[in-house]
Amino acid sequence: MSNDRSVSSPPSSPRVALFVTCLVDAMRPSVGFAALKLLRAAGCRVEVPDAQTCCGQPAFNSGDTADAARLARHFIETFEGYDYVVAPSGSCVGMTRAHYPEALADDPAWAERARRLGERTYELTSFLVDVMRFAPADVKLDGSFTYHDSCSGLRELGVHDQPRALLGKVSGLTLKPLEGNDVCCGFGGTFCVKYPAISNAVVGEKAEAIERSGAQLLLGGDLGCLMNMAGKLKRKGSAVRAYHAAEVLAGMADGPAIGEEG
Amino acid sequence: MEQATLSFKARAERALADPTLKIAIDRTTGTAERKRALAMSQFPQFEAARDRARRIKDHVIANLEHYLLEFERNAIASGAKVYWAATAEEASQIVVRLCKEAGAKRVTRVKSMLGEEIGLPHALDEAGIDRVETDLAEHIVQLGGDRPSHIVWPSMHRTREQVSEMFKRRHRAPHQEETIEAMVDSARRELRDKFLSADVAISGANFLIADSGATCTVTNEGNAELTTTPPRVHIVTAGIEKLVPSMGHAIAMLRVLVRSATGADVTQYTTFHCGPKQAGDRDGPEEFHIVLVDNGRTRMLREGMREMLRCIRCGACMNHCVVFRQLGGHVYGGTYPGPMGAVLTPVFDGLEKSRDLPHACTMNGKCQEVCPVAIPLPTLLRGWRDRSWREGLEPGVVRFGLGVHTFFALRPRLYRLATAMAIRVMRLFSRGGVVRGMPGLGAWTAHREFPAPARRSFMEMYKDQEGGR
Amino acid sequence: MSARDSILDAVRTGLGHVRTDPAAARREAAALLQDLDAIRPALLAEDLVEAFVARLVTPKVAATAERIADAAGLPAAVARYLEARGLPAVVALQPAAVLQALDWSGFERHDRVAPDETIAVGAARWGIAETGSLVFHSDAETPILANFLPLHHLVMVRADAILAYLDDYAAATAGQRPPRNVNIITGASGTTDIEGSLVLGAHGPRYLHVVIVGRHPGEAA
Repeated sequence: MSNDRSVSSPPSSPRVALFVTCLVDAMRPSVGFAALKLLRAAGCRVEVPDAQTCCGQPAFNSGDTADAARLARHFIETFEGYDYVVAPSGSCVGMTRAHYPEALADDPAWAERARRLGERTYELTSFLVDVMRFAPADVKLDGSFTYHDSCSGLRELGVHDQPRALLGKVSGLTLKPLEGNDVCCGFGGTFCVKYPAISNAVVGEKAEAIERSGAQLLLGGDLGCLMNMAGKLKRKGSAVRAYHAAEVLAGMADGPAIGEEG
Repeated sequence: MEQATLSFKARAERALADPTLKIAIDRTTGTAERKRALAMSQFPQFEAARDRARRIKDHVIANLEHYLLEFERNAIASGAKVYWAATAEEASQIVVRLCKEAGAKRVTRVKSMLGEEIGLPHALDEAGIDRVETDLAEHIVQLGGDRPSHIVWPSMHRTREQVSEMFKRRHRAPHQEETIEAMVDSARRELRDKFLSADVAISGANFLIADSGATCTVTNEGNAELTTTPPRVHIVTAGIEKLVPSMGHAIAMLRVLVRSATGADVTQYTTFHCGPKQAGDRDGPEEFHIVLVDNGRTRMLREGMREMLRCIRCGACMNHCVVFRQLGGHVYGGTYPGPMGAVLTPVFDGLEKSRDLPHACTMNGKCQEVCPVAIPLPTLLRGWRDRSWREGLEPGVVRFGLGVHTFFALRPRLYRLATAMAIRVMRLFSRGGVVRGMPGLGAWTAHREFPAPARRSFMEMYKDQEGGR
Repeated sequence: MSARDSILDAVRTGLGHVRTDPAAARREAAALLQDLDAIRPALLAEDLVEAFVARLVTPKVAATAERIADAAGLPAAVARYLEARGLPAVVALQPAAVLQALDWSGFERHDRVAPDETIAVGAARWGIAETGSLVFHSDAETPILANFLPLHHLVMVRADAILAYLDDYAAATAGQRPPRNVNIITGASGTTDIEGSLVLGAHGPRYLHVVIVGRHPGEAA
């Protein structure tokens, strides 16, 4: 849980490794650059380790624990030399914090390394708020937004207040509550392609709730869920535009929204 | 039942195409969700109560042999007869035999999911015994000739219109007015004389009280007591995990069970049954039989599913499950639907037959969050996925795809190349910000747009910008 | 091997052959019932009778309640209830000495509750303030069916028999031989089996009226 609130003052210029996540790397680099900008603004020395690939969640959730363990070891080796590891995704961080020790349960030494690294691995908004005590300054965006709490961040990491606190500092931006904000959007990683019809029914209801909120923007902290919801909204012909929260916080929401011509 | 022969996906698609079913599911689970939320807001002690309930169940499971023997001893001392059944077949055979020994022509039944699990309705019908389901929902299920679709609201899949039609066709003095009140009254009239004329009553148990040998049933309709009091014989079937040390422990469990199930503070009728009719009693059965059922529970103990034995069958996990709320319970194909059913059904039916159940889950964790005994349902579901992978039950295409992904993900340079290529391929199919008509993306794009990737990956752009520092 | 032996054997194997020390199990079980206030709701009022009544009349329990000073006033209370609802003065009276001893003149009464009984009058042994519940034990004075067959169930409970919590009932009877049935009744019979919508009077009583007799010892006069 992201409850380092006992820390009285933020660490001074910590060495932070940014894990951009495979989805942001391939699909929406702007989220990675937004995270980079925010972490630097918060006073971190940020590095992007070149050896980073995938956290192994697809393998783990598919039952391929052996491959998940291989990818976990790769991740640990890549990232354990830094003060902190930060990713713009609750899902990938949930994997490293909550599930690496499970995936490596047969190997106590590695499981212990996973546990120690997990303690220093954070979802972006919770790192900015809980560890760095950061608040964005001089960010302006006129409009209304609604917020979807992605499940892993919410339930495995306790990410809920942090993105709202940060977005509350963006001048001109108002929150319109989302009915069922903590209800899964139906993405579920490989679930959405293994059971597309069920996934569609779930995201269909989510899209309706988003439209009922009356917000102009849909924001969230996980690109997978955002692509799912934005893709459904777009198919429905909705005018709601979707961005990752980091893009808005970094003042980088002037580009195309998710699923818009870029 | 045609449903059973279809694949999970085919059943799911059929359910998704049924607009009446979706209305029925939303009416019941939506109400249940709201009532639970209200109950929680009025019970700030819930988290502590839930932790205690979990510890009570864990304590019982860790000392299960001790409590089973204590219960058996006390039940026998109270005048009950105790039977043990290792399998579903053994259990239903014992019940049918006891019914036959009692010369039963008519038996009344109180809804019990264990009864469904051991195939009791079918076994009684096969034996030519007139079986009367007394729970209103089970009565509807019996009239409809189908199966329960929810563990608390077994006829959740029926709309009021469908129920009305069935009652008009089958009741001796059906309702005249098209209200739910009038329909409930119709069932009340229909079942009244059946309660009083049955030879044997069969119920389940929500709790088995070790220190008294009593069994406990909870209902809101009062059908349990109306069922179990008049006949000469009362038979209880219960899973061996239903034990609690004492009535006090049952009360602590009850507080989280009822709030999680219906949002009430306590069920309308909570009854402890201890032995047969005692000297001087005005009513009650002369024989009281208890059948203790294993049916896979000790296997769960052995195979790393001990936490599932905490389950108290409240139904909260399914009421809050996005998949269940789209599909209803029949699609799951077993006695127990929803997240808890997806964990249990492979135990009863084998993983090969029910491989889809643990996979058809987004792992969003809501079920665990609302579970009154904090069962780590996503972890248990993932345990089945792990096993399915190890046993080679996963489809070749999934194994191949993930294998390729892992191969590249362990080799960062190749991974960069592959990512760059994938982006370029996707860009070839991109129009207006979305990917269209690309082979392999059909499962996604059949229902929603696939947002197109940017021209280059983050890592490519980052290297240029930062000079790879 | 019998099913019993094979199940017990499988339990032992499943638990890794760790044997229970009965004394330790008793201690652990008792510890799980410590600090009960942390795991149960606060009462709706400080005064037990007030808390009991407040819970009884919440929409969730949906019973009605009244207080009378003395058991002798019960027939009059029953008469008022029936009159207000235009019901005939025909009651099935639970064969409990405390009820039978009262003056029921003006009523047509019988002991045996009929399958379609409209009105039954009974006496509960305890009331529970936590939940607004009534507790009955099956015995020579208490046929269980009398609690379930009537449409209107009117129940007398003594104010000094109202306990704070369900746990207090369990404690009050601990160590005694249990009756065949303990009925803990909370409100009227209800069902939500058709579309989740609550309807009262499913199989059991549709109306529950509770008459509280006398004062609780802790109560100010």
